[in-house]
Parts: sequence; C-alpha cells; structure tokens
Amino acid sequence: MRHYFNDLPKTALTAGYWLFVAYLLLPLTLMMSMSFKDANFIAFPIQDWTLRWYAEVLQDRQFLDAIAYSAFIAFATTVCATVIGVWIALVVATEGIFGRAAIFALACLPAVVPGLINAISMRIFIRVIDLPTGTAAIILAHTVHAVPFVVIMALTRLRSMPKNLTDAARDLGADPFIAFVRVTIPYLMPALLGGMIFCVLTSIDDFVRTFFLGGYKPTLPMLIFAKVQGGMSPQINAMATIVLIATALIGLYAEYLTRRARK
Amino acid sequence: MQPVVHFKNVNKYYGAALAVENLDLSVEPGQFVTLLGPSGCGKSTTLRMLGGFETPSSGEIFLDGKPITKLPPNKRNVNIVFQDYALFPHLSVGRNIAFGLELKGLASDAIHKRTSELLSLVKLEDFAERMPDQLSGGQRQRVALMRALAPNPHVLLLDEPLSALDAKLRQQMQIELKSIQQTTGKTFIFVTHDQEEALTMSDVVVVMNKGRIEQMGAPDTLYSRPQSRFVANFIGESNFLEADVTAVHGNVATLDWDGHVIHADVNGNRVAAGDRTTVALRPESLYCLADKPGDRLALKGRIVRRVFKGAHSALTVQLTNGKELVVQIDPVALSQLHSDDIWIGWREQDAVLLRD
Ligand SMILES: Nc1ncnc2c1ncn2[C@@H]1O[C@H](COP(=O)(O)OP(=O)(O)OP(=O)(O)O)[C@@H](O)[C@H]1O
Ligand SMILES: [Mg+2]
Repeated sequence: MRHYFNDLPKTALTAGYWLFVAYLLLPLTLMMSMSFKDANFIAFPIQDWTLRWYAEVLQDRQFLDAIAYSAFIAFATTVCATVIGVWIALVVATEGIFGRAAIFALACLPAVVPGLINAISMRIFIRVIDLPTGTAAIILAHTVHAVPFVVIMALTRLRSMPKNLTDAARDLGADPFIAFVRVTIPYLMPALLGGMIFCVLTSIDDFVRTFFLGGYKPTLPMLIFAKVQGGMSPQINAMATIVLIATALIGLYAEYLTRRARK
Repeated sequence: MQPVVHFKNVNKYYGAALAVENLDLSVEPGQFVTLLGPSGCGKSTTLRMLGGFETPSSGEIFLDGKPITKLPPNKRNVNIVFQDYALFPHLSVGRNIAFGLELKGLASDAIHKRTSELLSLVKLEDFAERMPDQLSGGQRQRVALMRALAPNPHVLLLDEPLSALDAKLRQQMQIELKSIQQTTGKTFIFVTHDQEEALTMSDVVVVMNKGRIEQMGAPDTLYSRPQSRFVANFIGESNFLEADVTAVHGNVATLDWDGHVIHADVNGNRVAAGDRTTVALRPESLYCLADKPGDRLALKGRIVRRVFKGAHSALTVQLTNGKELVVQIDPVALSQLHSDDIWIGWREQDAVLLRD
C-alpha cells in the first residue's frame, strides 16, 4: 500500500510523459499513414494502400522546382551565415577588442526578435536600399536569422580551445592565416557542421520571412501552403512526409555531430 | 664563444605591473639552462619573449648574435614545449611531429624519415597513427618534445613540461630529457619552480625572484655558495645567523654572533670589521659531537627538538647565547650522542656570508 503511494507521483509523471509523446506523434503518424491511402478522402479506415501519391509528387515539376529553390536558398544562407558567424565569433573571442560584449549582443539579437517583426522590418529595409523582393532578399533575411546560432556554437567551441594551440602552430612556423586554417578551423569543425545543418534546417523551414520577402517563385513551405489553400490532398501528405523524413535525418546527423564535438 | 641567446636589459610591463626587470642573460650554446623561481616571478614571461609571444617593453633580445626582438614567432629559430603540451587534437602523432617540417617545405619522404627517426628516439615508433587523446601523459610529453625538436631549432624552450606528470614518471622524464639534450647537443632553456629538478638537470641554474635574476651559476655553486637569503632559502634549507664582522683574513671572516666567535667564508662580499651581516649555514653542514673538540671551534648547545625524517633526523639545538640552529644528522652520528648536551661545529668554508 505504502509502496503504491510512494510510486504514485512517479507513475503519474511517466504516464504524463507518454501522453505527451502520443500527442506529439499522433498527428505525424496520421499524416504519414494518409499519404499511403489509396483514396482521395483523408479519413479512416484505410482500405487500400498505395505509393501513387509519392509517384505523383516525385513527377510534379512544381514540387521539384520548389525543393531545388529551397535547397539553393538554404545553401547560400548557410555559406553566408557561416562565414559571418565565424568571423563574429573570432572577434568576440579576441581579447582587447573594443565593445566585444556589444558586438555579441547585437549579433544574437535576431535570434530573439519575433520572425514576423523581423520580416516586416526587413521588408521595409529592402525597400529603402532598393533591393527587389526575391532570392537575394530571402537569403539576406535567412542569413540574419541564422548568424546568431553559428556565432553561439562557434564561440562555445572557441572558448574551449586551449590558447596554446595557435601559439604552438605559430611557434612551428605558421603565420596567423595558416595557423587559422590548419588549427583553428579543424578545431571548430564539429561545431561548424552542427551550425551549418542548423542553418539549412531553419532556412528550409522558414515561412514568415520568405512570405514577406519572396518573389513569384515559391519555396517549399510556400508551395505547400498554396496547395493547402486549395484543399488538403493525399499528395500534400506525401510531400510533407518526404520533407519530414529528410529533415529528421539531417537533424539526427547534426545531433550526432554535436555529440561527437562535445566529447 | 658567442652566446646563442642574449637578453640585453630587457624589461616587461603588463600595464603598470612589472613582470621582468632589467634582465641581462647570456646562454652558451649546448647548455642546459634552467630558470628557477617561485610562481609569478617572470619565468614564463621570459620564455615567451624569447619565443616571440610577448614583446619586451624595452631592451633587446639576440639569437645567434642577431636581434630578434621584433620578429614574429614563426620567424624565430626556437621552439617551445608547452606546459599542457598543446598537441593538435585533430592530427595524429605523426602529423603533429610533421607539422613544423611541412611548414618548412620539406619533401614528404624527408618528413617521413625525420618523423620516424624522432619517434624512435623516444620509443614511440608504433604510435605514429594514434591520436593525441589516445596517449598517456608521459607519451604526450614525449610527442610534444619531438614536435618541438623536429624543425631543428637552435634553442629549445620548455615551460614546466614535467609539472603535469606524477613523481615517478617525472624522475624518469628528467633523465630522458637530459639524455636527449646531450645526444642532440641542443641548447635547452627549461623553466621550473622545482629546485630539485633544476639541480639534477641543469648546467646552469638562473634563480629568479620578482622579475629579477637573484643569482645564476652551476647547481653546486648555487647550493654551496648562495649569495642572498632568497637563494639560500629557495634552494635547500639554511640557518641564518646575524653577526658582526670583527676581522677579515683573506677569504675568512671572523664574526661575533651574539657573544660567540664564529668563522665564515666571505663569499665574494666586500666586508670590513664592524659590518653587520648574515651568515648562511646548511643544516647538513653542521656536525654534532658529544664532547668538546680540542682542535676546532665548536659551540656548546642543548637539543630542544628532534624530528625523525627517515634517512636522517633534524635536531633543533639551542646554544648558550639563546639562538637556535637546525642540524641534520644521520642515525649513526645520532646514536653517538648520549645526552642532550652537545657541541656543534662546521667547516669555515661551509658558512657563507650573504649580501643581504
Ligand atoms: N598576460 C598577462 N597580463 C597581465 N599580467 C601578466 C600576464 N602574464 C603574466 N602576468 C604577470 O606577470 C608576472 C610574471 O608572470 P609569469 O607567467 O612569467 O610567471 P611564472 O614565473 O611563469 O609563474 P608560474 O610558475 O606560476 O608559471 C606575474 O605577476 C603575472 O601575474
Ligand atoms: Mg609560468
């Protein structure tokens, strides 16, 4: 009896946890199973299974174009954000540079500003600098959003780097640039890979900024949104399932990398 | 012979704080020189100025007669073994050692040859492919040493390279380090705050205190002829006797030590009758006798404290003038003292006058 009472909170906690997991996974499972249903209506029971929707999606030019466009934007964003982020991290980590704390705080600000505010202000900004909406504007907004994450990850790694490491490289005949390329960059690599994958994922996922700054060419989220406006269909389920699995794989890989970096 | 390293009037300030003051130091080629001193006395700063990681606030540093004060670290023909080894974690042992060679632009077979040569020097031939985090402390230490030696520097700088090792391994590495220095014939400048390490390994010990050189010389000279209270205390232990000079004959001064007449070596100091000075006396230079010797000067005293220290004992002896001396005595000599009333003596060259 006493045993039971003692364990009650624990049991409740565990049960609560599993309920939450179910709540989390149920919609996803629903979506995935519907993508295999051989019928146009999204409802149970599923009588016949099919891969038809996947075949259709994979032949859908619009979908493939949107994926390519999103991938391109993600790639460009990642390159820009990584270069800028590492550069800021180096500045912040260097002793004796004036206003390091302020630089760090400003670089991190976009991570906490709401996406909508960010998007609107960007829209006004590109108007002022006479940049048309479209690819460049989207990349600009995505980069601003991704930089803080690169900075934080690179900086954390940089702080754990023994200062003697670059000194040793210099001592053995490396000039500052070679020491940076051959010692600092490899040391930062695990953090950078994690940061880059994060950039890719946030960029592909972003809707609000792209919505405000995009041109006529739809990115993947915009395309799916447009399709949903026209009514749910099993095709959309298939699309979403493909995206879900791809991003989950990338996410797991990033987790693996950061885990290895922490070791 | 031209000194391989020469510090000329070097000062180093960090802001207003003085780290190294008026440093004048010449190192002969092929010597094992140790900078010895307590924490914060400026040893690392001196080494880092030579390596090119700190710039002197004033003064010049010469390497092989050429001024290098303004050269960056990669342009100096000296290499450092860092205290925490600073091995590149993403490179294998072999690639770590090859790092400096690659930057010198050596051909890959020459690099390979030199790397395996160095690895076999420390018996690590089979470890070339290992990563640094798969090595023990002693092995890392050896790799760091070989990496620094690889580019064939004129001078090798070692900043407390053994301090992270346990006592046994440390002794073993001391011997290994010394033998590597002798086989390579390189000039080593070694930093430590461990006096025993300094005495065992060095040709020349430079004792530093508060950014200044207190005294430099061969280990036995430093030990038997300390010039200041600091040196006499930092290297080994000493009794200090405040006494008045009554006469000087050649190298020997006669002093009045609170009513006792004693003799001491003037130790290069210029003193005259009437000067008040300090005499340093090692506990192990003192001997105890049961009876008053007929032929030598000895002082009557009484044992007030005995401390057993294993191989020997430390006796505290109170003399008739009220002063106390610490005497180190071996078990055989101790067994011959049948009462606490004893006589204490020393050879006059073992008592040295200090400058402060
Ligand atoms: N980068 C620095 N900025 C300010 N002061 C410093 C700096 N490096 C050293 N100092 C100061 O200079 C003095 C000498 O330091 P140094 O590192 O040379 O001592 P050390 O003899 O190597 O001591 P330890 O045995 O503890 O390593 C110390 O008082 C130290 O606080
Ligand atoms: Mg030091």
